[in-house]
Amino acid sequence: MSTTPSAPDSTPRPLSLVAELTHRCPLHCLYCSNPIEMRRSADELTTDEWERVFSAAAALGVLQLSLTGGEPLIRKDLAQLIASGRKAGLYVNMITSGVGLTEERLAELVDAGLEHLQLSFQDLDEASANYIAGTKAHAIKIALAPLIRKFQLAFTVNLVVHRMNLDRLEQFIAMAEELGPDRLEIAHVQYYGWALKNRTKLMATEKQVHASLEIVAKAKERLRGKIKLESVFPDYFGSYPKACVGGWGRQMILIDPVGNALPCHAAAVIPNMEFDNVRAHELGWIWRESSAFRRFRGDAWMPETCKECPRKEVDFGGCRCQAHLLTGDANAIDPVCRYSPSHGLLETLRTAEAVNLPIWRN
Amino acid sequence: MDMNSIPMVVRGCRLHPTQDVLLMPEGTLELNGPSRDVLARVDGNRDVAAIVRDLAQEYEGAEESEISTDVLVLLQDLMQRGVLRFRT
Repeated sequence: MSTTPSAPDSTPRPLSLVAELTHRCPLHCLYCSNPIEMRRSADELTTDEWERVFSAAAALGVLQLSLTGGEPLIRKDLAQLIASGRKAGLYVNMITSGVGLTEERLAELVDAGLEHLQLSFQDLDEASANYIAGTKAHAIKIALAPLIRKFQLAFTVNLVVHRMNLDRLEQFIAMAEELGPDRLEIAHVQYYGWALKNRTKLMATEKQVHASLEIVAKAKERLRGKIKLESVFPDYFGSYPKACVGGWGRQMILIDPVGNALPCHAAAVIPNMEFDNVRAHELGWIWRESSAFRRFRGDAWMPETCKECPRKEVDFGGCRCQAHLLTGDANAIDPVCRYSPSHGLLETLRTAEAVNLPIWRN
Repeated sequence: MDMNSIPMVVRGCRLHPTQDVLLMPEGTLELNGPSRDVLARVDGNRDVAAIVRDLAQEYEGAEESEISTDVLVLLQDLMQRGVLRFRT
């Protein structure tokens, strides 16, 4: 246990818990956000261990639970886990590839209390979508949509966009509309994990990005009142950083399949991070006291430029993983910020000409 | 939208049983002032007029006309945020 002094009462209240139930997955997407070193299934948290985590999270103030993976459907106890989340008082979301989902299984999950399901699509053209996902999943996903619509369940279609499919964005959105979702998310790839390995292949051109912003704005207007459209801006094209995960140690707790608690999906790329495990520590202690959650919480760690900047209340210093991945220094100003001495680096990366062969996991 | 419109919360949105927040896919909306009391009466059956009448009984002394203005503004705002629809 730690001997560091207690965090002041101003420790923020976490709002969401991301539960990576497993790293096993039938897909092998070019931009997978799972770590390059994946966790073994034999070491995964048990049903009871997850149940304890959900109760502890709710006691801390968490409202949202996102069940993800890997592919959460691979967990045989998924319905039980959903029920545990609801019993703890959490709103239960599931992010899935849909592979292996039948009407019977979905009925079981909805009965257990599943409230929202997100299905993501790799492209509108089947061959291209399967190429990007590294497996034949596109037709399965398309066939699932009408099935999902049979249930009282919020349905989000997520479109992951990048250089290989951005030229077809309008048709891609039209395809998503036909699936009848309540929400539509258009997310530019973020460059961590596998996406970073494949960055030169995925990085959109400046022209594509500008065209996409216009298409998204028009679609938002057209779909207002019918489908809620949300979009994630491509980081490398911004002048100010994003408030990554709502600020380090401010809103989000991620638990990986074996119980390690991380402040964000990619935190393990930062050197000298130590992640405490829910098998050894109480979640409240991890949130308030663990070195991982305190490392970039607040503004004590910030470079002077950020400390004095009023935007620190907006972006909380941007993304630490990105600062490390691009500059080699996790404490540096996020290079997306125009005040970063490394901001020019993004221009070089944006216009990268070289296209390498893709690297799939496994 | 008028007094005879029937509002309903969209699929996947629900009031938190004890806290003043509306839960929705991957998000929450904090409810200030009387907005929780209004939303608690949005059930897909009552029209705006019925919701206002009900609130007027709850908030004794408040003018129904004032309540209906507030309710209409709130419902409009929630519709813009995509968490509310009107039955057609």
